[in-house]
Amino acid sequence: MKDEYICRCEEVTRQEIEEAIADGATTISGIKRRTRAGMGLCQGRTCRRLITQMLSKVKDAAEITPPTSRPPVRAIKIGEILEGEDD
Amino acid sequence: MKKNAEIIVIGGGVIGTSIAYHLAKRGRRVTLLEKDDLASGSSGACDIDIILQSKNPGIHLQLAMKSAELYKELARELDCDIEYENTGGMILIEDEKQMGAMREFVSRQKATGLEVELLDFKEASKLQRGLSPHLLGATYSSMDAHVNPMRLCFAFARAARQMGAEILTGTPAVDIRVKGGRVKSVLAGSEEIETDTVINAAGVYAPAICKMVGLSAPIKPRRGQIIVTEPVPRFVMGDVLSARYIAAKYNPRLLEGSDDLETRLGVGLSLSQTRNGNLLIGGCREFAGYDKKTTYEALKAILTHATRHVPLLRGIHVIRSFAGLRPYTPDGLPILGPVREVEGFIMAAGHEGDGIALSPITGKIISDLVVDGKSDIDLKPLGLERFAV
Repeated sequence: MKDEYICRCEEVTRQEIEEAIADGATTISGIKRRTRAGMGLCQGRTCRRLITQMLSKVKDAAEITPPTSRPPVRAIKIGEILEGEDD
Repeated sequence: MKKNAEIIVIGGGVIGTSIAYHLAKRGRRVTLLEKDDLASGSSGACDIDIILQSKNPGIHLQLAMKSAELYKELARELDCDIEYENTGGMILIEDEKQMGAMREFVSRQKATGLEVELLDFKEASKLQRGLSPHLLGATYSSMDAHVNPMRLCFAFARAARQMGAEILTGTPAVDIRVKGGRVKSVLAGSEEIETDTVINAAGVYAPAICKMVGLSAPIKPRRGQIIVTEPVPRFVMGDVLSARYIAAKYNPRLLEGSDDLETRLGVGLSLSQTRNGNLLIGGCREFAGYDKKTTYEALKAILTHATRHVPLLRGIHVIRSFAGLRPYTPDGLPILGPVREVEGFIMAAGHEGDGIALSPITGKIISDLVVDGKSDIDLKPLGLERFAV
């Protein structure tokens, strides 16, 4: 259980996330900064819900704010961004 | 009985946690107040560079060089891998005008004691592959380095806590009580904590803390946007900047008259690679209040600038962008030390983009000031009073 991957992109285990919560993380971003969970290719699409669940044990679920969404929505080649149209 | 603390540090970024660490190390009972979470502001929204080459020759560079020395000790001392690495770094030069400015910058840096040299294009290409053939060359210093700023911040806080410091997150400093010109207490959340020493390490929020004791500090948030790519095999040699980065930082006047987007957004290349392999591509310098959004306009301008210097970047995927607010001061120097008007109130803010590089020396200066009543560094050019009219 403890060594199962919660964030598969960055290979962050359940135990590492529990340690981050014990270290004082109370937000998804706080866990991300301590463990890299959510920093990988999928940008937390899979682990966000699992982490929210884990956080809800120490914090009211209604108070768990989603992490900041930032562009790009999906991985995109730098060359493609630069060739994109200007409006 | 009311709660009390020997020293209260306000701000849980890399500056505040470094100060708490250095004070705890010297046996002082510190309480650190952080309104959100550690590293949740600028210290968690920046790049990984500890660049000496980007510092203005003189006191700014001297501070950075002393800090670089301390980093080597810290990397051994802290009970956590802060991913410190002495990589070296370079500043890419595009044209003759930049070459002239960088030649002068380098000779002044050498006079301050920095190991730095000018390379031609061929030599520069040996250090960093994928450079655009239109570049004239680069400066190079072996003294530039990397660190993981978030790991650093958490490591400072953990070590401080182990030595007895109290770290209170989710606890804003709401007000500071002053009596007879001396600090008396801090209202921390809903609890009043008595203390005679308060350290303002609140970064871009430092002016609000100053206001609580009737002072004003000319610190303004300056937004920097950074792009994160997918992890790729080792590609960047260390810290790679462009000469335009230096111009945007110190000599915006050099760029005056050109009204293009790059100039307006203060774009300058800062390229590095994290231990995990992600590239960080920055950046820009904009005054946009406390707005932390990233903008399509700036991201595109940054990437245009970056690929002009390093065309090979075009084939790499972007996975994220972020923005952080750098605590700008009008002369580019941090505000460090006591203030004349309020006894027990000490400033440690306004490091703009140099907070990570200067965090060890800032912690040392402030702890020396509090414990010994003095620092071996002349703090006169760094005092808040320098801005008094």
